[in-house]
Amino acid sequence: MQYMLLIYENDVTAYADGEAGKAWQEIVEAHGRFAGDLVQAGVMRGGNGLKRADTATTVRRTAGAHTVHDGPYAETREQLGGYYLIDVPDLDQALAWARRLPLTGDGAVEVRPVLGSDEAPAEAEREAAHGA
Amino acid sequence: MSAALDRAVRADGGRVIAALAARFRDLDLAEDAFAEACAAATAVWPGKGAPADAAAWLYAAAARKALDAVRRRAVRGRLMLDDPEPGETPEEALMRADQPIPDERLRLIFVCCHPAVAPDARAALTLKLVCGLDTGEIAAAFLISEPTLAQRLVRAKRKIAEAGVPFEVPGPDAWPERMDAVLSTLEIAYAGAHADAAGAGERAGLAEEVLRLTAVLAQLAPDEPEALALAATVRFAEARRPARLDETGAMVPLDRQDASLWRADLIAEGERLLARAAALNRTGPRQLQAAIHAAHCTRLRTGRTPWRSVLTLYDALLAFRPDPVVRLNRAVGLAQVAGAEAALKEVEALYAPALARWLPYHAARAHLLAEVGRTAEAADAFAAALALDPAPAERLYLERRRREVA
Repeated sequence: MQYMLLIYENDVTAYADGEAGKAWQEIVEAHGRFAGDLVQAGVMRGGNGLKRADTATTVRRTAGAHTVHDGPYAETREQLGGYYLIDVPDLDQALAWARRLPLTGDGAVEVRPVLGSDEAPAEAEREAAHGA
Repeated sequence: MSAALDRAVRADGGRVIAALAARFRDLDLAEDAFAEACAAATAVWPGKGAPADAAAWLYAAAARKALDAVRRRAVRGRLMLDDPEPGETPEEALMRADQPIPDERLRLIFVCCHPAVAPDARAALTLKLVCGLDTGEIAAAFLISEPTLAQRLVRAKRKIAEAGVPFEVPGPDAWPERMDAVLSTLEIAYAGAHADAAGAGERAGLAEEVLRLTAVLAQLAPDEPEALALAATVRFAEARRPARLDETGAMVPLDRQDASLWRADLIAEGERLLARAAALNRTGPRQLQAAIHAAHCTRLRTGRTPWRSVLTLYDALLAFRPDPVVRLNRAVGLAQVAGAEAALKEVEALYAPALARWLPYHAARAHLLAEVGRTAEAADAFAAALALDPAPAERLYLERRRREVA
C-alpha cells in the first residue's frame, strides 16, 4: 500500500536564516540520508522538498469563481514543507518510517494512504479464489 | 437465541470473531459472517441439537459465509488474480494444528486499540468485537446514545480498513507504546463500569466483561507486568463491589466498608496476578496502583489498613504519574498517617481552575474540612461536589455527609 508522508514544520523558526543557513543545510543532508534508507529498503516511490511557505500562491475556487492570492491555503504555524511517497505493507510500517523522518525542531508528519493503492488481490480474495 | 447458542456467543464469540478477522483482514466481514453463522445456528441447532464444540461449529460456518462473500465481491469487481500459488498464511498453519480455532484475540485487541483509531472509539470497539457486547449495552455503559456509538464504530472500522492498520501484534520497537494504548483503553472501559457504585443494570455486565478481557490479556501477554497488574487492579476493585453500597443505597467509602463483604476469591486472584507481575522485576505505574489496591484489601485478613504502606506506594506512583488524581488520592492516605490538617494543605495546594469541575476534589476537600472542624466551609465544599451531578449512590452519601456537618 502506498502512503504519503506529509511533513509539517514551522519553517519561519526552524530555518530563520533561509536556504543559506546552517539549519537548512543540515536538514537537506539529513533528508538525503533518509531518502537513501528508503531506497535501500526498496520502499521509496518519490518525494520532494518544497520551498518555504512564503513562496506559496493559492488559487481558490469559491462559488465557481477563482481568486488568486499570496500565501499558503491555510495560515497555520506549521506548514507543508515536503513529502515522501512510500510503498509498504501496512500502516505500522508507514508510521515507523514517519517516526524516523528528520525534523529540525517540533513538527508533524501526516501519514495518508494513497487512493487505489490497497494491495490487490488481498489475501482474503486470493484465499477465496483458490478455495482454501 | 437458544441457551446453547447464547452461551457459546458469550464464552467464545470474541475468539471466533478474532480468528475470522485475522484470517480475512476485514472487521466488517468477520462481524457479518459471525452474525450469519449465529442465524444459521438458530435455524439448525434446535432440530439437530447443539454441536459438541459450538465455537468450532460457529467458526467453520462463519468462515464459509465469509469466503462466499469474498468470492461474490471478487466476481463483482472482476478481480484479476495474478498469484496462482498463495503461500500458507499463519492462520492456515494454525488451522492445521490440533487447535481448532486459533486464538487471535491479542491481535484483535491491538487492532481495536491502535493509536490510529480515535480514542473515544477504542474501548467501544474492543468491547464489541472482543467481548461481543452489543451496541445497546456499550452505549448505556458509556452514557452515550446508540446512534452516536454506532457512528463512532463505523468510522473506526473504516479507518482501520482504509488506512491499512495491520492485524499484527506489534514488534518490540512499538510494543511499549502499543501495549500502553491497550491498557489505557481497558482502564477507560473499566472506569465506565466502576464509576457508579450501584453497578446496576448494564454497567454490572460491563464490569464482568472487563474482568474477562483483562484475564484474556494477562493470559495472552504473560510476560507483560503492567497487563498482569491491570488485571489484578480490576479484581481488587470488583472484590469490593458487594460492600460499596449501604442498605439505603448510598455509597460507602473504601475505609468504612465492611470488609467481611469483600470477595476473597477475587482478592486471591488479584494477589496471584500481582505476584506474577512483581516476579518480572519491571516496576510500572499500574503495578503500584495494583499494590495500593492490594494493601487496602489486606484489611479483609488483618482488620486494619496499612496506611503507611499505602502512602509509600503513592509516593512511588507519583514518580510515574505526577498528576492531580494521584496527588489527591495520596492526600487521603496522608490524612490517616499525618492528620487531616496536613492532608488539607496538600489538597488545597492542588487547586487549579481546571479542577473546579472535578467532583473528587471537592468531595475530598469537604471531608478534610469537616474533620478539622471548619464546618461552614465543609458544607460549601459538599454543595460544590453535589452541584457536579454525582451518580445516585454518591449523591445520597454526599447529601448525608453535608447534613452531618451542618
